[in-house]
Amino acid sequence: MKDTKVMFRFYTIPEYVKEQDFLCDQHKKGWAFRRVYFPGLYVFSRCEGEDVVYQLDYNQEGRAEKQAYLRLFEDCGWEYIQDFFGYSYFRKPAAQMQGKEEIYCDDGSRLAMIERVFKGRMIPLLVLFFLVIIPQLVLHGSGMRSANQFFFGLFSGLFFVYIVIFIQFGLQYWNMRKRLR
Amino acid sequence: MDSHIRKVYVPMTETGFYILLCLQKPMHGYAIVQKVDSLTDGVVRIGAGTLYGSLSKMEKDGLIRFVDEQDKRKIYQITELGSDVLALEKKRIERMCRNLEEVGQ
Repeated sequence: MKDTKVMFRFYTIPEYVKEQDFLCDQHKKGWAFRRVYFPGLYVFSRCEGEDVVYQLDYNQEGRAEKQAYLRLFEDCGWEYIQDFFGYSYFRKPAAQMQGKEEIYCDDGSRLAMIERVFKGRMIPLLVLFFLVIIPQLVLHGSGMRSANQFFFGLFSGLFFVYIVIFIQFGLQYWNMRKRLR
Repeated sequence: MDSHIRKVYVPMTETGFYILLCLQKPMHGYAIVQKVDSLTDGVVRIGAGTLYGSLSKMEKDGLIRFVDEQDKRKIYQITELGSDVLALEKKRIERMCRNLEEVGQ
């Protein structure tokens, strides 16, 4: 029987909760998360099936002073796994917890993390969207010679992917704000 | 105290209140978690992400300051501004307790 498996998953920027659940699910089935590689290859090792909570944090300051940041998480019982596109991956066995435990214990700090994700990941995407994708779409859409059709298709595809990401992010942010009120 | 500090920290979140309360003595992050856990009989458990975020924000806003690093653990202590904010919060809580006695039950 194989002791390692690789799965491909694609999570957009605001889908970190789904990603956490996916890793938790795999661990329960006896596959411990080892590493994720670009563009979304998740490597697992066979293990005893166990209830383990996975958490993703996004904190540029923490990454800048990594030792002190990781020390605090380790002190609190969180095992650090890796960084990937700005997110830091942690896990902790449920057996070591009293009740349900997460790295964020109130909505205020959860919202603050989403705002950091927005600044770090969404703003560059927005810039790309308005300065590259929209102008290219207009450019290739206006001529419509056959050479342009390929690029028009390409940028249309990108346009829709971006729109989906923006809507997802907006909804998540909005829901969090609503819960806080 | 400027309006930004008032707006953000008055009233405070439970986590923010306990962090400032603990940092009247110099302390590192995990010591705060343990102290709050024992003060509240495990009712308030501060998450590592929440704590890290709060400490760096409070440091930036000048409510606490970094005093030392031991064994890769950053030790913080409350500043004068932090004490002022905590005093405001204390007054608010005392008023609520008083009102609860007068009106409540």
